[in-house]
Amino acid sequence: MLKRKWMFGLVLVLIGSMFLAVGCPDPEVEPDPDPDPDEIVLTVAAGAVGIELELTHDLAEMYMDENPDVIVEVIDTPDSATERLSLYLSFFEAQSPEVDIYQIDVIWPGDLAEHFIDLYEYGADEVVDDHFPAIVENNTVDGRLIGIPWFTDAGLLYYRTDLLEEYDLEVPETWDELEEAAQIIQEGERVDNPDFWGYVWQGDAYEGLTTNALEWIDSNDGGTIVSPEGVITINNQNAIDIVNQAAGWVGTISPDGVTTFAEEDARAIWHTGDAAFMRNWPYAFALSASEDSAVTDVFGVGPLPAGLAGTGSATLGGWQLAVSTYSEHPEEAADLALFMANYESQKHRAIEGTMIPTIMDLYEDPDVVEAHPWFEDLFDVFINAVARPSTATAPNYSAVSEAFFTAVHDVLTGEMTAEDAFEELELDIQDVTGLEIE
Amino acid sequence: MAVKNDGASSKKSFLPRKPNFSIPARREEKLALKLLLPTLLIIGIIAFYPLAHVFYTSFTDRIFAGREETNFIGFDNYRRLLSVHIATLDPVIDETTGEIVVDPETGEVVYERPIDILPREPIRFREVNQFTLFGTRYVVGATDRNFVLAFSNTFIFTVVSVFLELVLGLAIALVVNSKFRFRGPMRAAMLVPWAVITVVSARMWEWMLAPGRAGMFNAFFDWLGVVERPIAFLAISTFQLPAMIAVDVWKTTPFMALLLLAGLQTMPEDIFEAAEIDGASKVRQFFTITLPLLKPAIAVALVFRTLDALRVFDIFQVMLGQSQYSLASYNYFQLVANRNMGLASAIGVLIFFLIFIFAISYIRMLGVQRE
Repeated sequence: MLKRKWMFGLVLVLIGSMFLAVGCPDPEVEPDPDPDPDEIVLTVAAGAVGIELELTHDLAEMYMDENPDVIVEVIDTPDSATERLSLYLSFFEAQSPEVDIYQIDVIWPGDLAEHFIDLYEYGADEVVDDHFPAIVENNTVDGRLIGIPWFTDAGLLYYRTDLLEEYDLEVPETWDELEEAAQIIQEGERVDNPDFWGYVWQGDAYEGLTTNALEWIDSNDGGTIVSPEGVITINNQNAIDIVNQAAGWVGTISPDGVTTFAEEDARAIWHTGDAAFMRNWPYAFALSASEDSAVTDVFGVGPLPAGLAGTGSATLGGWQLAVSTYSEHPEEAADLALFMANYESQKHRAIEGTMIPTIMDLYEDPDVVEAHPWFEDLFDVFINAVARPSTATAPNYSAVSEAFFTAVHDVLTGEMTAEDAFEELELDIQDVTGLEIE
Repeated sequence: MAVKNDGASSKKSFLPRKPNFSIPARREEKLALKLLLPTLLIIGIIAFYPLAHVFYTSFTDRIFAGREETNFIGFDNYRRLLSVHIATLDPVIDETTGEIVVDPETGEVVYERPIDILPREPIRFREVNQFTLFGTRYVVGATDRNFVLAFSNTFIFTVVSVFLELVLGLAIALVVNSKFRFRGPMRAAMLVPWAVITVVSARMWEWMLAPGRAGMFNAFFDWLGVVERPIAFLAISTFQLPAMIAVDVWKTTPFMALLLLAGLQTMPEDIFEAAEIDGASKVRQFFTITLPLLKPAIAVALVFRTLDALRVFDIFQVMLGQSQYSLASYNYFQLVANRNMGLASAIGVLIFFLIFIFAISYIRMLGVQRE
């Protein structure tokens, strides 16, 4: 009897110790057994695409040199925006103070506002006027500045200068001109190269299609799906016409597979010299200009073509820095965030990594202009970039965007006409958001 | 005395927990309970608690990582997922001539538009599908179209892929079970697709299915001259599900073959020798000896594969993203992108019940419980 009790006890102790082993961290890996009470550790969750992470580390070093009592740690996050969001959400769900500063996508401020502090309370009002007003407006939710703009992005038209010259064509300024030029070049090039296409873009059913289609529609005076005032405007003739026109490109000037293309699929075709035009973000510039590209010295970038609106549109992309409400040092974190987005920091990132600055004066900075002359040329494109309706539809932007790109994708693959798709779409968006239809 | 005592206790043992229960047996039972307690505790913490939590969340409108008040909304999430409405579509009648309108291009009768027919209150029904039965045109509407499509995708995917895997896996298992040179290397080589990480193989297939001559399939069809233009397998809805099934069959047939091979190897040689002497043909031997003896192995393999296939996530997520969902990838979309934790939990619960039904019916059908 006694023996049995003893054994039972032993089993319990064994199991208990298993829990202990899991529960306690290994003493050897404990970061700092005796932390300096004056020292503050700030953690930044940042992107790691290309040399992005390296540049963020540079800024952390610069800040630590100026502020010896602060330790800045940078953690890298997944490349895919959805994966990154899922990681952030798990921190917010746990109200974790582990991360102080988050790098957030331009479409998130509306949805995630409650998890971030108002940077206006920490001195952002002094610097905010230096940045692009459209981005500041996008990041302002109920008068609170959720994130300080860090770098921006906008859709651009990449074109082959050698082919335009060969076929005696101008850089297209309207969608009709683009169609025509793409057709002419494609027919000519097909003689030697059966894999050549006129125009490549992003047509898969994902957020990237929302950005592409918003550019078509806005450039054709068809609104921005939901207006900034919160009225559903998508079901209008201009929007229908341009999406039907784009559906006509599939299989003619664009590959049939364009409806499965994301950024890198389009760039792969462009990179090997098999396309005359491409719609893509600025990141493709550095890669297209690199040694292994077939188009190294024979391409240019410019604004996307226009429709009825008369000027082309570029969808606003880019990332902001936001400070978590759960941070234990909000004041210091806000200071670091503002430092990382200031003139000198953005300049460093612009020159070293072609991160498009959000501070207007940088486009006239001699060092930046010398390193990347095309920044200056595209200033108008960046400053006029059109925002997706993420703030007007918050917190349902994801659902709205999904409904939108699904409808456009159905039109592109020929399963529906734009008339039917958008009639249904406006009701879908109303179901999700409860907003009024125009 | 001892004999009598034994008899009494064995009689009583049909009625458990009677006071006359023999003392050593009761003690043993008590000890067993004590020893089981930690296990039950751990299962409770890691399995039942999260499960109960998901059940509870599925009845709320909880937002993932939201700070709003969570409300109890009863069966609303389930109602939204499962409401289906079937309506008839009448042919459109020309107002001036009074005749049925026919599409001049296709020559087909034009029907009313589902968007005008399907109910909009209290929640709007969206068109999922149309079909014709006995000359009447019907439309199927659902309040959550994506969920209904995800359900049918997952169901078709599971049934077709598991069936193909079973047939092919059995054939492969029979081949590698016979004696031939290089049987060892052959068995190892057979397992390669199974060993490749699913996300990697999904990417690989994505490239093979690429819509251009860079894609293996399109290059092959182009060489054969059977297609005029390259096919975008992953964009056109007709090809999406077959592509998913092909990837899964390629990947998991080896696993099926492995499980069945293990079953084949336990079979004693002498039965087959006896059958041979009695003059039974190879085919007869297969159907009367091999197959019945393999039944337990098939049952195990089917349960494993079906439950896995019902939860399919990775290949849908990697290859189709948000253009077509499986139940699990739709669940992920609702949770992460839409942050709709209540609804995502309800989807999780429905997947749980679906798997439960499959598991029970397999056990019943194949008589596993008698093992």
